[in-house]
Amino acid sequence: MHELPVVMDIIREMDEQASAHGFHKITEIELVIGELSSIVDESVQMYFDVASQNHPCENAKLKFAFEPAMLKCRECGNEFPHEKSFQCPKCGGDAMLVKGSGRSFYIKSFDGE
Amino acid sequence: MKVIIMKELLEANDRLAEENRSYFKENHVLCVNLMGSPGAGKTTLISAIADELQDIQIGVVEGDIASSIDADKLEQKGVHSSQINTCGECHLDANVIRQGAEEIAMKNGIVFVENVGNLICPAEFDLGETVRLLAASVPEGDDKPYKYVPMFSYADVVALTKCDLKEAVGFDTTYFTKGLRAISEAPIYEISLKKGQQREGIKELAAFLRKKYEEV
Repeated sequence: MHELPVVMDIIREMDEQASAHGFHKITEIELVIGELSSIVDESVQMYFDVASQNHPCENAKLKFAFEPAMLKCRECGNEFPHEKSFQCPKCGGDAMLVKGSGRSFYIKSFDGE
Repeated sequence: MKVIIMKELLEANDRLAEENRSYFKENHVLCVNLMGSPGAGKTTLISAIADELQDIQIGVVEGDIASSIDADKLEQKGVHSSQINTCGECHLDANVIRQGAEEIAMKNGIVFVENVGNLICPAEFDLGETVRLLAASVPEGDDKPYKYVPMFSYADVVALTKCDLKEAVGFDTTYFTKGLRAISEAPIYEISLKKGQQREGIKELAAFLRKKYEEV
């Protein structure tokens, strides 16, 4: 449920952007969500549908792009996205999180008219 | 017309968190964001650390969805507390921490922010802390670093609590440590505070925090 403050942030930003660009309507918003940002897209969508009413971004289509956390194998140095395991898919070695990866959470772009 | 903006979200919280960080530094306060599941032993941990660090002033900002049970418990011990009821919110944010910190108005000491018991949401919100302390209790299971990657990857130090229950619940320390090491270099302190038994590990954790305090 911590997605609510996030959604309010998106709506506030879109209000400002709509007025800055002279858009009366925002039609699409592209969000990038890192795996380690603990943001759930369904929750964002649910809050957005309710909270965006009477704002320029009401009914805008939300597009989510996911960014995985990256792991680096301690044995062979292979870098791979974290899906389920912390083990290297190449050599089976133990891997270590690549610092800073998967933490993104931002609005990449929006479309309006 | 498509517009590329690359606009970070939760920036307002991050900005306030930076202000809190300066506020704590100016007041020579080490702020410890204590996170963990409900029942991990967060309040007990603060209480035991306060026993070990009697020469350092300890304050607590308590975050709970409802009630002031934890704050009352700590006040009785002489730990200066401020209670924040989040009224259903699942985490604390930088804004409420500033209010709580100003209420206890502490200078020269350690302020623990006892976050809402939750292994997910609090990880996302920077409060302006210096140390993120994660209390993970043995009965929660040895697989938690594999399941709650964001929370475990953000921790600066892990207190593995209720270690006296390891055998009873079949906790595999090697498996737990392996999972944590994949995502974090945080030191692990194995702690047992069972009533009527010798306390274990708490002196070492207190010494870690004392060192961090001295570095402020």
